[in-house]
Amino acid sequence: MFRKKRSVWLFLLPGLAGLMLFYIVPFIGGIWYSLTDGSYENRFVGLANYAAIWQNEMFLLGLKNTMALSLICAPLVWALSFVIAALLNRLRPGGAFFRNSILLPYLMPSSAMLLIWLLLFDYGGVVNRMVAAFGGERVMWLEGAQLRVPIVLLFVWKNLGFAVVIFLAALQTVPEPLYEYAELEGAGFLRQTFGITLPLIVPSAFLIVILEWINAFKIFKEVYFIGGAYPDEAVYTLQNYMNNMYGRLNYQNVTTAAYSFALIVFSLFGALFLLQRTLQRRFS
Amino acid sequence: MKRLRKRHWASRALMLLLALVVLAPIAITFLYSFFSPGEIKAYMAARGNYDEAAWMDVKLSPDMFSPGQYYEILIRDTSVLKMFVNSAMYAVAILLGQAAVIPMMAYALSRFEFRGRDAVFFGILMLMLLPFQVTMVPNVLTLRQLGLLETAWAVILPMWFSPFYIFLLRQFMVGLPNELFEAAQMDGAGTARCFVHVAVPVCRPVIGAAAALSFADCWNLVEQPMAYLSQRQDLQPLSVMFNQLVDESSGTEFAGAALYMLPALFVYLYFLEDILTGIQLTELK
Repeated sequence: MFRKKRSVWLFLLPGLAGLMLFYIVPFIGGIWYSLTDGSYENRFVGLANYAAIWQNEMFLLGLKNTMALSLICAPLVWALSFVIAALLNRLRPGGAFFRNSILLPYLMPSSAMLLIWLLLFDYGGVVNRMVAAFGGERVMWLEGAQLRVPIVLLFVWKNLGFAVVIFLAALQTVPEPLYEYAELEGAGFLRQTFGITLPLIVPSAFLIVILEWINAFKIFKEVYFIGGAYPDEAVYTLQNYMNNMYGRLNYQNVTTAAYSFALIVFSLFGALFLLQRTLQRRFS
Repeated sequence: MKRLRKRHWASRALMLLLALVVLAPIAITFLYSFFSPGEIKAYMAARGNYDEAAWMDVKLSPDMFSPGQYYEILIRDTSVLKMFVNSAMYAVAILLGQAAVIPMMAYALSRFEFRGRDAVFFGILMLMLLPFQVTMVPNVLTLRQLGLLETAWAVILPMWFSPFYIFLLRQFMVGLPNELFEAAQMDGAGTARCFVHVAVPVCRPVIGAAAALSFADCWNLVEQPMAYLSQRQDLQPLSVMFNQLVDESSGTEFAGAALYMLPALFVYLYFLEDILTGIQLTELK
């Protein structure tokens, strides 16, 4: 660790200047917008915009859907990646091909995947063929509330691999003899996974929950690709709302919605962070 | 010698099935790019038929293998190619800028003690949480003030300071042993030499990983061009094109998609080892 070195500013300054200019100053400056009425004189109106937007149906719908989608996506990615990593860990030293294939979509542009998704989830497409083969009724995946399914699956398809790789890295820190001992005692795969593995990698598991949830909160591309700018109200996210208000030059609504959302996100992850700190103290 | 390890055939089969499902959309895109434009047009037009008796064919081989789609987009009508070049321009400009800014910033935040360091790091964590749309309007106003709105720089410059990659590199550098730097200091190296000759070489895997992940981000730009380049059709990257195609098929969209995935595939193959070791050695705990 370098102490009392002036040269630190040399390394810090370019990045700090950019962060200030393109992130922090706009973020703080924008607060002013959410407190004015957007008229020609741009009068200060206090929290009136906030009072209005929390009554606004489209805002509340968007907020609800963003929450709902993130609460579907994040746990789904977390649970799937944990199970896959646990299975892959058993195949060591093999299994690299499977791991690499699952990671590939993380680097693929999901925009290019849109075409295939529309074909797969068409009313006469492959997914419905499978549904029919299992004796089910065909589903209109690209209409109404069912839109959630292709959107969530596109998100999972893309983000699964990264979580699997982080989980695998954590799993490799679990000492092998623990499993051999458990095997001798007659514990099966499930007992080993939930009795030995999970408790030992709680910190990484927690981090993946947070990373995936952050990612899922930002979900927009998938919705925009599959649902368009004005998707069905079941998948109309807050990001759609903000984009559309921006398109109508209603900057007051965008910034008010943005800061309301930022406040929710900050308090949510702040609480999670505190929770992690107390858990860590208790266990160490 | 008796084998201690079981073969786990069931797990293997399950993973193989999963890998095939995950890879199938990519493989099919490449396959469909060799269908003739007419065949793709007809196939895409069969979508959206809500007749209970009608099914779309499951096409796994074309009537005739044809480079027709590639001929269309590479030679006949170069608008797709132009967008592809735009995408490449954004990716190169963004990655070069990030290479200049982000490792230095991560170095300062991990290997130095100075007042306000924790506050800066905390700020970066906060910025990581926010979706693009939260700072979209204030950013547009700032960029307009700087005269950068509706220019390529509006997309490029803010990406140079991406909080996530600062976080990723900082987490890696925090975990490096002090002895590495102490040894260099004994030999008379200052902070700059320590950065160039110790920190950067040791961080090679995570820098590779960050470069690959950042490339993937650049290759999937959607929100930024929509907000910052609404008047400039000539500056749009290829990632925004696929949306505009879905209603009416041009017959060449699969070649466009395949062409677009190809560089991502190369980046993936080249940086795969870096991504794996980079993540494994980073203190993401």
